[in-house]
Amino acid sequence: MILAGAVQAKNTKNATTRISLDLPMTQSHYKNLRDRWRARQQNLQRKLWSKHKESLDWVSNNYRQLVAGSLGSLMLLTGQTASPSIFLPQAKAQSESAVQKIDKEIFLISDLASVLPKNVRSLNTDEELGVSEILTRVFGFKTTPELDNKRLNRNYGFIGAEQHLARYPGDTLSTHFDSEDDAKFYWQSGMAPGLGAWGYFVSSSNSLSQLDKDREKYYIAVQTFLSKDFNKRFSEYRDFYKYRKMLVVNPNNGRAIVADIADAGPGESTGKHLGGSPEVMYYLERFDGSLKGPVIYFFVDDPNDNIPLGPAIPK
Amino acid sequence: MKKKYFYTHIIDTSAISLELGNMDMTSKERIHLISLMDSNLHHEILDLILSELNPIDKKTFLHHLASENHDKIWKFLNQKVGNIEEKIKKTAEDLKKELHKDIKEIGIKDK
Repeated sequence: MILAGAVQAKNTKNATTRISLDLPMTQSHYKNLRDRWRARQQNLQRKLWSKHKESLDWVSNNYRQLVAGSLGSLMLLTGQTASPSIFLPQAKAQSESAVQKIDKEIFLISDLASVLPKNVRSLNTDEELGVSEILTRVFGFKTTPELDNKRLNRNYGFIGAEQHLARYPGDTLSTHFDSEDDAKFYWQSGMAPGLGAWGYFVSSSNSLSQLDKDREKYYIAVQTFLSKDFNKRFSEYRDFYKYRKMLVVNPNNGRAIVADIADAGPGESTGKHLGGSPEVMYYLERFDGSLKGPVIYFFVDDPNDNIPLGPAIPK
Repeated sequence: MKKKYFYTHIIDTSAISLELGNMDMTSKERIHLISLMDSNLHHEILDLILSELNPIDKKTFLHHLASENHDKIWKFLNQKVGNIEEKIKKTAEDLKKELHKDIKEIGIKDK
């Protein structure tokens, strides 16, 4: 019998170190199967978590520190989804012995697990420092919990799903997407009934730039209103937070994205601490509701605006 | 070489891998699909096992799973669940049929 592992090792022989979901989509076979199998996977995840939530929460809270040694089984649970990067390191390890060949995302997960608390809570100063150092080293740009003497109420918390924001007057789901693929994946998230915290991104569709598109596509909503002395320093905070870049990281799978603040929320009573656009949630492989999971979110110190919005790849 | 999962030795997915190998796609795309197949399989099997266990046994199983101690996992499962190996094989076969069907349908659709 040919074992699955052997077949995988064979097929992985010529693979590069990272397979992204953002691969050039040249093959319809691949795209069709990928969409079907990913949808099935998400259904299975939902079913698994809804049926066995208590046990899975327990293992997620108690064994996250073991992820680096448990990729084959546990990470699928805590990460809640299959990213190619989760599987590749194992296959590579079968054919290549050098430790340094292991995907950098795995090291990131392991490093973060050594710093983050077991429970999702506000980080203390030492933990913030540790996380900041790891992210800065791994991604090659400075990340920080505090910038210009301003900080959010927390930088480790549960992320919920937001809806698409109207970018200009008249922007609807039918005008919102650049491609059929985008529409197919993200249509169902719907449009938010209101505008983002700073209103429309631009005044009309004619003036919509790629940057404006990206600001909506990769936006997050954070609890700006819970910042220290927010009411006293309202205008200062308002200007500071507008489209401020943050690195958002899923510590369970190592996926990271440079997002921008474009809305305020969610409310304290929701049990969530920030919200992500449909595209952000999809990339981070995070879900809302009973499947919600934590992320780290630190400011990107980018005074010259050199860091692009979108997925961040470890250097 | 350590087995990938505790059930790897009783499930043969090579037929699907080979079918993907004959399809028009890059090696990266093929590897991604194989990883999705693995993940689907993993979730189905975990759901099967957890559904057979009481809350305390679920934690014991997950503890063994996290430790990747395959011998302990099998010893534990054989004590707690009757015919567990056959049940896992059946679950895997059912999923493989579904995945085969997907591959066939995609092939027909593209012709």
